[in-house]
Amino acid sequence: MSDSIDRETVEQVARLACIDLPASRVDETAKQLAEILEYVGQLEQVSLPDDVEPFFGATESVNAIRKDELSPSVARPDILSNAPDSDGEFYQVPPVF
Amino acid sequence: MNAATTQEQRQSISEDDVTIIIGLEVHVQLDTKSKLFCGCSTEFGAPPNTQTCVVCTGAPGSLPVINQQALRLSIKTGLALNCEIARFTKWDRKNYFYPDLPKGYQISQFDKPICGLGYLDLFDQRDKSKTRRVVLERAHLEEDAGKSIHDESKQGGNSRIDLNRTGTPLLEIVTQPDMRSAAEARAFLNELKLILTYLEVSDCNMQQGNLRCDGNINLHIRVDGQQIATPIVEIKNMNSFRAAERALDYEAVRQLELWKQNGLTISDAPKQTRGWDAATQTTTLQREKEASADYRYFPDPDLIAVTLSEEEIDSIRSEIDRLPAQWREELIGQHGLKPYDADVMVGQGRGVIDYFLNVAEGCGNSKMAANWIGQEVLRFLNESEATIESYPITSTQMTELLTRVVGGELDQTRAKEVLEQMIEFQLEVQSAMDKLGIKPVDNQEIEALCQQLINENPQVIEQIKGGNAKAVGALIGKARKLNPNASPGLVKNTILKMVGG
Repeated sequence: MSDSIDRETVEQVARLACIDLPASRVDETAKQLAEILEYVGQLEQVSLPDDVEPFFGATESVNAIRKDELSPSVARPDILSNAPDSDGEFYQVPPVF
Repeated sequence: MNAATTQEQRQSISEDDVTIIIGLEVHVQLDTKSKLFCGCSTEFGAPPNTQTCVVCTGAPGSLPVINQQALRLSIKTGLALNCEIARFTKWDRKNYFYPDLPKGYQISQFDKPICGLGYLDLFDQRDKSKTRRVVLERAHLEEDAGKSIHDESKQGGNSRIDLNRTGTPLLEIVTQPDMRSAAEARAFLNELKLILTYLEVSDCNMQQGNLRCDGNINLHIRVDGQQIATPIVEIKNMNSFRAAERALDYEAVRQLELWKQNGLTISDAPKQTRGWDAATQTTTLQREKEASADYRYFPDPDLIAVTLSEEEIDSIRSEIDRLPAQWREELIGQHGLKPYDADVMVGQGRGVIDYFLNVAEGCGNSKMAANWIGQEVLRFLNESEATIESYPITSTQMTELLTRVVGGELDQTRAKEVLEQMIEFQLEVQSAMDKLGIKPVDNQEIEALCQQLINENPQVIEQIKGGNAKAVGALIGKARKLNPNASPGLVKNTILKMVGG
């Protein structure tokens, strides 16, 4: 389980994650990702009975559910203060189109 | 499948060789007070960015918690749409970047949706006595994104973002590609919306974006014994059912023309996303579709799974009242309505059905109640764009009016005049009748009236005596002029009896 990761995959993943990855670091990143996958891949060596259900989270607890009730929102000036740019009403972002 | 074709082959195909394949994805905003994962209000129309919190905006350290009512409404919808309901359901992150998605991912459901396979039966648009089944692939619960307001000046100004809608619960209902025409897709949307409003899970207000649909469409074309498929196109921005029908119709023609030119099939070209432009009535290319792998779905570590028991599901099932299809059957079977009339009435919503049931039971004549509501009431509602709840005549008043018609005290023509007076001057039945000078006519008066008509119209009387009883019709109008309160039926019968016709 030492599948290598090609440059194309690294570039694709970087694009999807909106990470600006310089071309000079692609090979290095590919090697690191492959090592991580190999490390995690060791888990596949554990043999499991067939009837074990896949596990989707870090806890076995279920059903943390809240009633449909209102709670106060955060005041607009406070929530907008986290934004790089706003006009006091809206978030301002660079033009999308 | 999808072999290369020659220009000549492509030009030779006829309409019968082309099958339109349509699947739909419908997003329904569930009618909850608070958002899917936090207590912010879902109320429409608040000032921008006044209904958000650390959960909506994905601030570090905040934790989403699922809304019970959103679960219940999803299950209710799934049951009404004959879906399998999951006993174990969980949430996943759908990762993409867009300014109105503050977290950089949408909390959605990938492989364990709350509702699985289901179906919806529709009238066949080509033959309404038959039905067609649209299979539903799944329905999953996810959060809505915010709203972007782009600079329309084309000067490259900033986009403005309102995150009030972020985190509002949506149920995304996905069909299999089972629809075969744009008209059928529209019929599906109509029936789905009707079911959702009967269930009271959503108000389905399209202007407010509470019901949104995207369509997937391509063509299967028979060419010289083999079948090819054109590239699939997803159409977005279909803001009304009429727009959806037009967009799908347009796209079917566009795909056929394009294929005739270039011969490209589903194997040659990727899936495209196109937007419907209502101004030009065309679809325009938005982007080549990202594959599902590009969204890098994975289980949301901030949320834990939900398990549902049989008791919970049964308890929700017991809350479901009759659905549109059952109402149609009941109105036809129990109340003698024609299928068309039943469909019109059901299409108006539960309020009109309740109104009808009250009046039909009260006046004892379902058929008459159906006619009056189908014609007088619905015409008024259409003309004034009102709902039955704001119709000025209550079902009790309508019952009283029609009871007088059934009892022979009023004929239908006069009753309509009474109704007009009741609406115009906000009168009760009796006051409106008084205002019109309508009062009971006793038998002596009727007989005198008929005798007068017999004396004044000897030719008509000869015809009646000669065996043409229908000739009496000529006297009814004259009777009405002499005494507007005389019942036409009574006048007719009395004359016939007096002349022995």
